[in-house]
Amino acid sequence: MIVWAAIFAGIVAAFFAGVMLFHRSLYVSAVSLLAVLLQTGVLFFLCGSPLLAFLQIMIYAGAVMVLVVVTIMAAGSEGERFADFVFPRPLAWLGLAAAVIEIALILARGSAPAPAMAGNSAFQANLGVVLFKPYALATEAVTLLMFLAALAIAPEQEAS
Amino acid sequence: MSLTAVVWATTGVLFGFGLAIVVLRRQLLAMLLGLELMLAAVNVSLVHHAGLFSDEQALAVVALVMAVAAAEAVVGLSLILRLRRTGLGADSAALTELRG
Repeated sequence: MIVWAAIFAGIVAAFFAGVMLFHRSLYVSAVSLLAVLLQTGVLFFLCGSPLLAFLQIMIYAGAVMVLVVVTIMAAGSEGERFADFVFPRPLAWLGLAAAVIEIALILARGSAPAPAMAGNSAFQANLGVVLFKPYALATEAVTLLMFLAALAIAPEQEAS
Repeated sequence: MSLTAVVWATTGVLFGFGLAIVVLRRQLLAMLLGLELMLAAVNVSLVHHAGLFSDEQALAVVALVMAVAAAEAVVGLSLILRLRRTGLGADSAALTELRG
């Protein structure tokens, strides 16, 4: 069942990636990317990394995609109104149905072996150890990069 | 079909779509979305690698890639908004100032 859930998540992700490529509306592309990222979160979970699946959903669905959608709305052409940003209803239903089917497949896995590390809390805890011991410099560098990225959106000061 | 085959196929397809979006679409925002798609595709294979070989370092790399991708999205979006304010628009074809 785990493999079937992974196949299903992969097909749905590929479908929404195709929508991103072929649909003309940037808004639809952005929401389709959100669907793809949610499916990759499901794949993370199926590969045995629930912590990174949660982070993927939290960072992308909760932060980055909000930024992207707001930017698309702010940078839209003059004639566009808020009501013009609509997502095709069949695609929305497809995404919802995919979520329900995947949950059903994961719950119905029965006696099949669980993914390699699922539930292995020691392995997940080692992630923190690795991040703050051998990769401490890289973690600090990424933190600094995120701080500088936050400065990038600060308003430009007038030259005196 | 094994989970490895599914993950590799998904990674390949998603990376290919992301590359196609970057190459074929001319809007800067769409190109940024394509980059995000490629990063997500690579992350899927890294997480699977971590699961196969119990490699915490691969998970650490995924966490770092996610943070860098978020920072890159913020910088990219602010650049696009700034370009929009200068009147150049969000079309990559309009940006010819650095062309030799």
